[in-house]
Amino acid sequence: MAEETAQQVADREMLLRVGHGDQAAFSALYDRLSGPLYSLALKMLGDASDAQDALQEVFLQIWSRAKTYDPEKSSVFSWAVLLTRSRAIDRLRARDRRLRVMAGSTADETRLAEATNASTVESAADTVDKNDEAAHVRSLLNNLLSEQRQAIDLAFFGHLTHHEIAARLGQPLGTIKARIRRGLLKLREQLRT
Amino acid sequence: MISEEQQDQAALYVLGLLEPHEAAAFESELNKNAELRDIAREFREAAAAMALTAPPRMPPASLKQRVMREIAIKTEDRTVVPLQHRPSLGWVPWVIAAGLAVFCGLLALDRVRLERQLADMRAADSLMQTTFYSLAPSAPAPADARATVAWQPGRQSGVIRISNLPAPEPGRDYQLWAVDAEHKDPISAGVVRVDKNGVAQIRFKPVEKAEHVKAFAISLEREGGVPKKEGPILLVGSS
Repeated sequence: MAEETAQQVADREMLLRVGHGDQAAFSALYDRLSGPLYSLALKMLGDASDAQDALQEVFLQIWSRAKTYDPEKSSVFSWAVLLTRSRAIDRLRARDRRLRVMAGSTADETRLAEATNASTVESAADTVDKNDEAAHVRSLLNNLLSEQRQAIDLAFFGHLTHHEIAARLGQPLGTIKARIRRGLLKLREQLRT
Repeated sequence: MISEEQQDQAALYVLGLLEPHEAAAFESELNKNAELRDIAREFREAAAAMALTAPPRMPPASLKQRVMREIAIKTEDRTVVPLQHRPSLGWVPWVIAAGLAVFCGLLALDRVRLERQLADMRAADSLMQTTFYSLAPSAPAPADARATVAWQPGRQSGVIRISNLPAPEPGRDYQLWAVDAEHKDPISAGVVRVDKNGVAQIRFKPVEKAEHVKAFAISLEREGGVPKKEGPILLVGSS
């Protein structure tokens, strides 16, 4: 396992206390994580009320599942991010099902494509501020080839499968897999430095 | 040595893109291969960092109250449930009196325990001693500007989160005020500076004791702040 940062150690200790029913630790963990998790949910769902409901579910999951957290698998931040993404995807799927029933799948796919394109443009337009953790990650992403970043962005925020990404971009499946792999490898290397 | 194909699978796995049967097969491989587990963990960290590229937003303060209430209820349920499952002794007439006595004793014990837990929670959980204020914009602030204040009267300190409030023009600063029922003028709680996204999260302490705060407000003042409010109010709100 890679060496943990001070923040990762602090998060892990907070979560350990949450697992023992410590509400003060939970409150502190909420303060630390709610901003980035809410931003993620809002970007994926595009609706503040939906994002807040998803975030509430995530924090209730964190409270009830703190003891099942495995530090060997991920940092607390990554664990919480992936829980949030998973809740957001569940909600998007439920929304998709409702839309399909109401209007057929065509309109829904258009909406999804627009939402994904919009989020890609938004991220690309962000400016770099080296004092900001988020801006630092954005700057690292700027070092990826645009096609690698696009593939990861569509997979992470757009909840498209690799098959769907290949179809969307008109590229062979193997190419998309390689772009995602190379992009994550490069991002991993940069996050280490 | 991890092959490119395994790396592909690991990348797709952490992004949740594998079919259920593929994911199950990959997990089985993960259990046997420490090197593969390491790369999956690192891919997971890299993928999760993507979340930080979303435009930064803060959830409303009321959401935290909702969440904290929910977990308090869950905690209470966990401690009270065993009481509901205690066997009734009413079907055995000759032990009714003894059973009731035991039951009353347990209730008394539970009450003492719950009171102790409540006292512990009050001591440990600062949220229970916190009052939240939502600040809404008034002209000339942008219509989507927002702020929330979490105020702890006992500690005479608080935290303010501001969003969508553009940085003031050079030579000007935003200043936070506590409007207290026992003070004629608003009490300064210091200058607040927003970042380039119009966001701020700042811990503050009013310059005078404020025990009956009715509202918080943000005004536009001269750079560095003023002892007594002079400029226009941009955001104001009560609890």
